[in-house]
Amino acid sequence: MNYSLITLEILAVLLGLTVLVADLWVAPATRKALGLGLAAALGCLLAFAVGSLAPQSGSAFTGMFVVDDLARYFKGFFLFAALAVVLMTVDFAPKFGAGLSEFFALTLFALVGMLFAASASDLVLFFVSLELITVTFIVLNSFQRTRSVSLEAGVKYLILGGVSSAFMVFGIALIFGTANATNLAVIAAKQKELGQSALFLVGLLLVLVGLGFKIAAVPFQMWAPDVYQGSPAPATAFLAVGSKAAGFVLLIRLLVGAVPQIAAEWHRLFVVMSGATILYGSLCAIPQRNLKRLMGYSSVANAGYLLLGIVAGSAAGSTAILYYLAGYAFTVLAAFTVISAIANHVESDDISALSGLGQRSPLLAAVLTMALVSLAGIPPLAGFFGKVLLFKSVLEAAPGHPELYALIAVAVVGVVISLYYYFGVIRAIYWGGQSANLSTIPVALPTRVVLLACVAGMLVLGIFPQGLMKIADHAVAGLSHKAAPSAPKAAH
Amino acid sequence: MEHAAVAQHAVESGSKIQDLAWAILVLPLVMAFGTAVLIPKNRTLSAVFNISGVVVAFLLSFTLFCLFGGQSADATPFHWLSVAGLDAQIGLHLDALSTLMLLVVTGVASLVMIYSTGYMHEDRSYTRFFSTLSLFVFSMLGIVLANNLLMLFVFWELVGVSSYLLIGFWYEKPSAGDASKKAFLTNRIGDFGFMLGILAIWSVAGTLDIAALKAQFIANPALLGPWAGLAGLLIFMGAMGKSAQFPLHVWLPDAMEGPTPVSALIHAATMVAAGVYMLCRLFFLYTATPGWPAALGFLDGLSAATIITCIGGFTALFAAVIAVQQDDIKRILAYSTLSQLGLMVMAVGLGAKTGDASASMYHLVTHAGFKAMLFLGAGSVIHACHHEQDIWKMGGLRTKMPKTFWTFALGTAALAGLPPFSGFYSKDEILAVALEANPIFFGVGVLVTVLTTFYMSRLVLVAFFGKPRGEGADHAHESPASMTVPLLVLAVPSAFIAWLPLGEFLSGHFKPGHAAHGGDILFGPFNHNPIAAFFGLGAALFGFSLAYSLYGKSPTQDPLSPKLGLLSQAMRNRFYIDEIYDGIVVPIHNLLSQVADAIDRWLIAGLAVRGLSGVVEIAGRALRLVQTGSIQTYAFLFTAGVLLIVLLALK
Repeated sequence: MNYSLITLEILAVLLGLTVLVADLWVAPATRKALGLGLAAALGCLLAFAVGSLAPQSGSAFTGMFVVDDLARYFKGFFLFAALAVVLMTVDFAPKFGAGLSEFFALTLFALVGMLFAASASDLVLFFVSLELITVTFIVLNSFQRTRSVSLEAGVKYLILGGVSSAFMVFGIALIFGTANATNLAVIAAKQKELGQSALFLVGLLLVLVGLGFKIAAVPFQMWAPDVYQGSPAPATAFLAVGSKAAGFVLLIRLLVGAVPQIAAEWHRLFVVMSGATILYGSLCAIPQRNLKRLMGYSSVANAGYLLLGIVAGSAAGSTAILYYLAGYAFTVLAAFTVISAIANHVESDDISALSGLGQRSPLLAAVLTMALVSLAGIPPLAGFFGKVLLFKSVLEAAPGHPELYALIAVAVVGVVISLYYYFGVIRAIYWGGQSANLSTIPVALPTRVVLLACVAGMLVLGIFPQGLMKIADHAVAGLSHKAAPSAPKAAH
Repeated sequence: MEHAAVAQHAVESGSKIQDLAWAILVLPLVMAFGTAVLIPKNRTLSAVFNISGVVVAFLLSFTLFCLFGGQSADATPFHWLSVAGLDAQIGLHLDALSTLMLLVVTGVASLVMIYSTGYMHEDRSYTRFFSTLSLFVFSMLGIVLANNLLMLFVFWELVGVSSYLLIGFWYEKPSAGDASKKAFLTNRIGDFGFMLGILAIWSVAGTLDIAALKAQFIANPALLGPWAGLAGLLIFMGAMGKSAQFPLHVWLPDAMEGPTPVSALIHAATMVAAGVYMLCRLFFLYTATPGWPAALGFLDGLSAATIITCIGGFTALFAAVIAVQQDDIKRILAYSTLSQLGLMVMAVGLGAKTGDASASMYHLVTHAGFKAMLFLGAGSVIHACHHEQDIWKMGGLRTKMPKTFWTFALGTAALAGLPPFSGFYSKDEILAVALEANPIFFGVGVLVTVLTTFYMSRLVLVAFFGKPRGEGADHAHESPASMTVPLLVLAVPSAFIAWLPLGEFLSGHFKPGHAAHGGDILFGPFNHNPIAAFFGLGAALFGFSLAYSLYGKSPTQDPLSPKLGLLSQAMRNRFYIDEIYDGIVVPIHNLLSQVADAIDRWLIAGLAVRGLSGVVEIAGRALRLVQTGSIQTYAFLFTAGVLLIVLLALK
C-alpha cells in the first residue's frame, strides 16, 4: 500500500499536535507569533499540495482513499482557507482571552477532516471525515466560553449535527445492507440493480441528508443563522468556506462520481431543494440587522446556487461548482477577515455598527464592499463569473425540462433580492449616518496580506476565468471517466 | 490603445503596405491620450507632440494617396466581435475617395494645429485643446477609412462627441456650453435616422460591409425593393445632421462659439464634410432602383435622390440669403459653409441620375481648402482686433494686415468662383451637372453664386477697406508667423488646384474607364460646357458689382438693411427657425418628459418597484418567524424535512 498518498494529512496532524505541545513553552504574550509560524507552515503545506511534489494519483486503504485531480483541487482549497483563517485568528485573538493554541490546533484537526473528505471514496471515510469536522467545529463554535451566544451556537451545532450524523450513519447501514459494500467504486458498478431497491434509495437519501446539513441546504438549514451569528468570526469563516466545500466535494463524489443515473432520476428533488434554498436564504436575509447572521443566510442562499451545478448533473455543472466555490472562498474569507479585524474596534456585530467604517479604515471598507459586490454577483468580480457558469450549466441542460427554466427564474429573483440586502450593508459602511467613534482602525500586516490575496483572487477569477476553469475542468474530467462511462444525465 | 497593438501586430505579421493606414488612424489617438495622460502640464511639448503626430499622418496619407489613389485596397482588418450573423470588423478601406479625403483631413488639421500655437497662445487650457483636436482627427479619420457601416457609425458618433468637446471648449462661457449641447443634440437626431437606415440595410442585405453592399447593389439595383427610398433617406438623415442641412442646420452657426481654429477644422474641412463624404461613399444607395413601402405610396415616382437634391438646393439658397444680412464675420462664413454644403448635397442628388457624384466630392475638396483658409483668416482678423467679430467695427485692415488680406481675398475669389481659382472649377462641375439634369437646380446654383459673391464681397469691402470703425481695428497689426504661414500654405491649393486633374481623377472613381472631358484643364470649362461656365462667371461678376455699388464707398452702416426693411429683419433673425423650434419642439418635448416622469414616478417606482419590494420584504419577515431559535423546533423541522425529501424522491 502506498502510504505516501496521505503525506499531507499526516503532516497536518503533526502540525496540530506540535502547536498543542509548543503551547506549553510559548509565553502567552508571544502566542501571536505561534500563529504566524503556523501560517508559515501551512503556506509550505499549500505549496507542497499544489506543487509538483504532491502525492501522485492513486488509491490506498483498499480503495477508501483516492488521490486524483478533484482531491488535489480541494486539498489546495482547504489549505488556503485554513491559512487565511489562522491569520484572521491572530487578529481576533484578544476576544478569546485564553486558549489560542487550542483554537489553532482544532482548526488544524478540522482541516485534516476536510483533507480526508477531499479524498474519501468510501462511505465509511465519508462518515469519519465528516464527524471529525463536525466534532471540532462544535468546540470551535463555542470557543468564546464567556459569551452565551457562542455556547448556544456550539450546543445547537452539537445537537443538530448529532441528528444529522444519526441519519447519515443509518443511511450508510442501509446501503451496506443492500449493496454489501461501502466503497463508491463498487456501488457505482452495481448502481443499475441497486437503483431498483427502495431500501438502498432510502439509505442514499439519508446520506444526502447528512451532506445537506453540512452545506446548509433547505430543509436542513435551520442551524446556520444561529451558529453563524454566535460563533467567533474565524470559526464562522472556516465553517462557511471549509465545511461547505467538504459537503460539496462529497456530494460530487457521490452523485456525479458514483450514482449519476439515480441522481438523474431525482432531478426534481434537486430542483426543488435548490430553488427553495435560494429563496429561503435570500428572503430571510432581508430583515437581518446582524452582519454575521446575514452572512449565515447568505451562506444558505449560496448553497442553493451551488446546488444548481448538481441539478445540471453535467461535467459543466461540476466545473461550475468548483469554480464558484473558489470565488466564494476568496469572497467570504475577505468578508470575515474584515469582520475579525474590526471585532476589537466596533461595539457589536450589528450592521449599523459599520457606519463610519469608510472613514475609519478605507481599506477594510473597500474590501468588505468588494466582497459584498462579488457575493451579489456583479462583474468583474469572482462571484459574477461563478454564477454565470452555474446558470449556463443549468441552461444547457434545460431543453426538454421546463422546470429548469423556472429554477433559473427563481435563481435570478434570488440574485435581485440579494442585491438589496448586500447593498444595504454597503450603504451602512459609507452612508450610515454619523458614527460617534471615528478613530482609525489599524490593520496588521498579516491581515493586509490576506485581504490583498483575497481581493486579487476575486479580481483574477472575475476577469481571467480561463486559468481556473481549465483546472476545474481537469479535476472533474477524471471523475466522470472513472465511474460514469455513460453521460451523467440519463434518459428522463 | 488596443488599436495600436493591433496595428503593431498587423504591421509585423503582414507585409502589406496598406497597413500603414492603421498607423494614420492610430497616431492621433495615441497623441490625444499621450498628451492628456503624460504631459497635461507641458504646453510646448504637447503642441510639438500633437502637431508632429498629425504631420506624420499627413505624410503617410500622401504616400498612400500616391500608392492607392487609383485602385482600392483593404488594410488587414481587426475582428471586433461576432454575434448572430453579424461579424463586426474594424477594417480600413483605401481608394480614390478615402485617400483623397485622408489628405484633406490630415492636411487641414496639420495647418490648423500649427495656426493654433499662435491663436491659442494665451489660453490656459492649451494642452487640452491639442489633445482634443487630436481626438477629433482620430474620429474623423475613422469615418474616412471605415470599410463597414458599423464602424462608420461608431466613428460618426465619436466625431459627434469630440466636436461637442471642441465647440464647448470655452465651457465657462454659457453660450459656448449651449452651442455644444445644441450641436450634439441636433446631430443626435440625424444619427438616430442614420442608425435606423443602417439597420434597414442590414436587415435586407444581411451585411454591413460597404464593398460587399456595393457589389450586391451592382448585381441587383432593386436589392432593397420597397425599402430603397426609406433607407436612402434615413442614411441621408445622418448626413443632414453632420453636414447641417435644413432643417437640422441650426447647430452650425451657433457652433461658431468654439475657438476659430476649431471652426476652420470642423466647419470647413472635416465634420461637415463627413456627411457629403458618406453620401459619396454610399452613393450606390442612391443610384439604386427607387421604391417605397405601401404606406408611403404617395411618394411613388420620387426617388430619395430627388428629395436630397431639393433639400440641398433649398439649404444652399436659404443659407446664402441669410448670410447677406449677417454682421459677425464668423457667422457670415458659417452660413456660407451651409450654403456650399447645400450645393454639394444637391450635386450628390443630381449626380444619381448619371451615376457620378464626382462634382460634389470635387467641390468638397476645394471648399475644404479655401474655407479653412477663410476661417483661419477670420481668426487672424479677430485676433488682431482683440476679439471683435462685428465687421462694421472693422475696416481698413487691408494695409494693416497685408498677408491676411491677400489670402482672404484669394479665398473669397475661390469661393465666389472666379477663374483660375479652385472654386470656379468645382462649382462649374456642379452647375454643369445641374444644367444637364434639371434647369431649375441650375437656376438655384447660379442664384447661389450671385449671393455668395455678394455677401463675400460685402465682407471684404467692409472689413478690409475704408477706414477703421472701431477701437480694435484701429490698433490692429499683422498676426504672428505661426498664423500667417498656414494661411499662405492654404493659399497654394486654392490658387493652383485647378492645374491638377482632380475632377477627372474623381469621376474615374465613380465611373471607371469613363474618360472625362480631358484636354486643357484651365480653360476646360469654357470648352466642354460653355453655358455653365459663362453663367457661373457672369453670376460672380454680377454679385461683385452689386456689392461694390453698395459697399464700395465704405459706408458706416449697412445701406441694404433699410432697403430690405422687414425682410432684412427676418434675415438677421435667421428666418426665425430657432424661435420656431423653441415654440414647437421645446413645449412638446417638455410635455413628453413630464408624462414620462409621471409614469416613472407613479407606475414604475411606485407600483412596480415599491410594490414588489414590499411583497418580498413581507415574505422575508414572515419566513423569519420560522427561525424561532428553539432547538426542539429545529430538530422537528429537520426530521420533517427528511421525511419530505424521502417522499419527494421516492414518490
